[in-house]
Amino acid sequence: MLEVRGLVKDYPGVKALRGVDFEVRKGEVHCLLGPNGAGKSTLIKCVSGAVEPSGGEILVHGEPLPPRDPAGALARGVATIYQELDLVEDLDVAHNVFLGHEPRRGPLIDLARMRESSAALLRRLGHEKIDPRLPVRALRPAAQQVVSIARALSYDAQVLIMDEPSAILDSGEIETLFEVVGRLTAEGVGVVYISHRLDEIKRIGDRVTVLADGATAANGIPASTPTEELVRLMVGRKVEQLYPERPRGGGEVLLEVRDLKRLPAVRGASLDVRAGEILGIGGLVGSGRSELLRLICGIDRREAGEVRVAGERLAPNRPDRAIAAGLGLAPEDRKSQGLLLDWDLTKNVTIADLGRFSRGLLNVGQERVAAREQLRSLQTVPDNPDRHARLLSGGNQQKVVLSRWLLRECRVLLLDEPTRGVDVATKAEIYRIVVGLANSGIGVLAVSSELGELAGICTRVLVMREGELVAEVDGARATEQELLAHAVAPTAGPDLIEEVA
Amino acid sequence: MSSVGALKNRLGALEFQEYALGLVVIALFVAGSILRPETFPTWDNVRNMLTQASIIGVLAVGMTFVIATSGIDLSVGSMVAAAGVFGGILVDPSGSTLLFVLGAVGFAVLLGTINATAITFGRVVPFIATLAMFSIARGLALLLNDKLPVGLLDLNGGSFGEPAPFSLLWFGTGKVLGIPVSVWIFLGIVIGGWILLNRTRFGRYVVAVGGNREAARIAGVPVRKVIFSVYVLSGLMAGIATVLLCARLGSASPVSGNLYELDAIGAVVIGGTSLAGGRATMVGTFLGVLTFALIFSLMTQLDLSTEIQQVTKGAIVLGAVLLQRPEARY
Repeated sequence: MLEVRGLVKDYPGVKALRGVDFEVRKGEVHCLLGPNGAGKSTLIKCVSGAVEPSGGEILVHGEPLPPRDPAGALARGVATIYQELDLVEDLDVAHNVFLGHEPRRGPLIDLARMRESSAALLRRLGHEKIDPRLPVRALRPAAQQVVSIARALSYDAQVLIMDEPSAILDSGEIETLFEVVGRLTAEGVGVVYISHRLDEIKRIGDRVTVLADGATAANGIPASTPTEELVRLMVGRKVEQLYPERPRGGGEVLLEVRDLKRLPAVRGASLDVRAGEILGIGGLVGSGRSELLRLICGIDRREAGEVRVAGERLAPNRPDRAIAAGLGLAPEDRKSQGLLLDWDLTKNVTIADLGRFSRGLLNVGQERVAAREQLRSLQTVPDNPDRHARLLSGGNQQKVVLSRWLLRECRVLLLDEPTRGVDVATKAEIYRIVVGLANSGIGVLAVSSELGELAGICTRVLVMREGELVAEVDGARATEQELLAHAVAPTAGPDLIEEVA
Repeated sequence: MSSVGALKNRLGALEFQEYALGLVVIALFVAGSILRPETFPTWDNVRNMLTQASIIGVLAVGMTFVIATSGIDLSVGSMVAAAGVFGGILVDPSGSTLLFVLGAVGFAVLLGTINATAITFGRVVPFIATLAMFSIARGLALLLNDKLPVGLLDLNGGSFGEPAPFSLLWFGTGKVLGIPVSVWIFLGIVIGGWILLNRTRFGRYVVAVGGNREAARIAGVPVRKVIFSVYVLSGLMAGIATVLLCARLGSASPVSGNLYELDAIGAVVIGGTSLAGGRATMVGTFLGVLTFALIFSLMTQLDLSTEIQQVTKGAIVLGAVLLQRPEARY
């Protein structure tokens, strides 16, 4: 149905795609794999008409696709769901599904027909429980994704491209997603599925195409190909060991959190982080983990409770004081919260520690040298301190944020989804860095949705559920299954509609 | 990967904008010299242009910091009028230049602090807070002395022609080494502004807050303090501009400073500082001020009416904003 032949895309100074071949058949799930920067996003953008390829061809049902014409791609049945869902949160479900092509009666929107058609599409996806009149804001991420898929179907999509659809979902929600994908392929829709999680590919994929350095490393091989082989194709070598030896911990208490509360997300949480340990917090998306980290740092105002760093009580709502006391946060969304994307790496690294370079005036040269040293020590690529943060891949952007806190010599590092959107090889590197930091005496508090990685590197793991810490598991004995069992409420079914408090 | 191309263009465009603006300044000067060879390329005319530019220039330096935080200050023109009249009634009928300067600058800083308080503690958006001050300060300027201007001619032996050093008029019409005192002050403030913006922690924080407030906060930038400071700074610059204006005119008028905010914002924007925040250039602001000064001097000498000048001014600002965001065109 969709055929890509010898696709080339040049950006000034960068060859993003150098001859990619790729095809999607009717009713299959075709997985697209590749490390960060391999060209997956560029390929999708070419196919969806967002950017114009420099060479090669894209055929839909044998017909060439008009370049740089997103509407044309949609009209030919090629729809894309990006990682950041592009829904308008304040509009209701029906408006979102038909955004931009609302059914009309005369000059007016035909509301009744729009709601009816939306309901029919949701029924087709097995989600008739989602009310087309609800605002999208009231839906959980998995349900929002279903709405996005319904939107794609409203264009009569025959090829559906999904860019890391599982990244924002927790384990239960991923099941929902897989079921929807199953329904689509049964109807004959071809699905392009992009993910960094190799286990998912095994579960729902039919065939796999691997991209590496802008070229096709493997074209349409069966999804049953052994994992080691897939990793080898992706990174060009073997990743020997994903998880380094976990730190032992057991130092003095650096961070004390007592009864921290901000309703509705965090309902009273207490924990201690010791020097030299990695304390993990697992749980489902929406269980309040990120909010807890933000409260600890004073980014949001706490309603009750206290935070102490090395015995010193932190003022509420003052992240600058928290940082002065020795905290550092690598936030979940690096692009919107971690980095100043239009700044060079130097400024991104030194922003939290300018006092070090300032004696009235800033010593810009010294600043640059210090930043470069930190970036090099973490093997950031590129480590040129004059490059702009926007140009780096996700994993390397994470290293820039880590460099910032290393320079600052923070005592407690808070990591929120440290490896989200990062490929396997870089993940292994980040684990190594974080474990190294803990071994050097820093206390690390890490939040992750990938329960496997918590079980892999943490000294201890706490599990958060509905705003409370409900279990503590020794890292060495933790398994993904056990953590998941704590994370899901014993009784609650998969209710996708949040109660609006 | 997506925006690599667009970004390169934009980075190129940033430096390009500074160079291009430098070329525009030169081209305008050459054009003027060709069109009006007797009057335009003269030392008198250059001095005149710079003197006129200095008042807007000082305001534009403050405005650069405000805009870098993705804010705006619409009240600077009104603050100039109010601060002038306030300083004027302090020294009327008798007083010293020093008292006038302290009064005018102090009053403008006070008004700027009110802006800052409303914006940071009251959480009023800058556009509205300073629009309110635009009206309040103009009203105060008219109220303080019953809509009448205050004469300031003879403060500390000032007189047109040869004002005594440190008389008020000396700041407006006096010269040091052949260059008007007001131009010295303007240049000093531009250089000070450049250092503050590019070589201090405060300047770095200002741009960080404008670039990504949330990321800046998470990195420990005291966001509120920074935003507060830029509006106080803008008030301070308005105070200095007041002194330069009153010193040139020899009086403080409640209707002076009209629409100065537009000139200042226009100069900052054509200089290349991003209205969306996160990118600021003091060199660009300086060149922007010069560009405006050259264009209006040239248009005046070509006997084009002030109405045409106004239309031109608006068109230039619009064009500059369009050029600034090539990636937003669709």
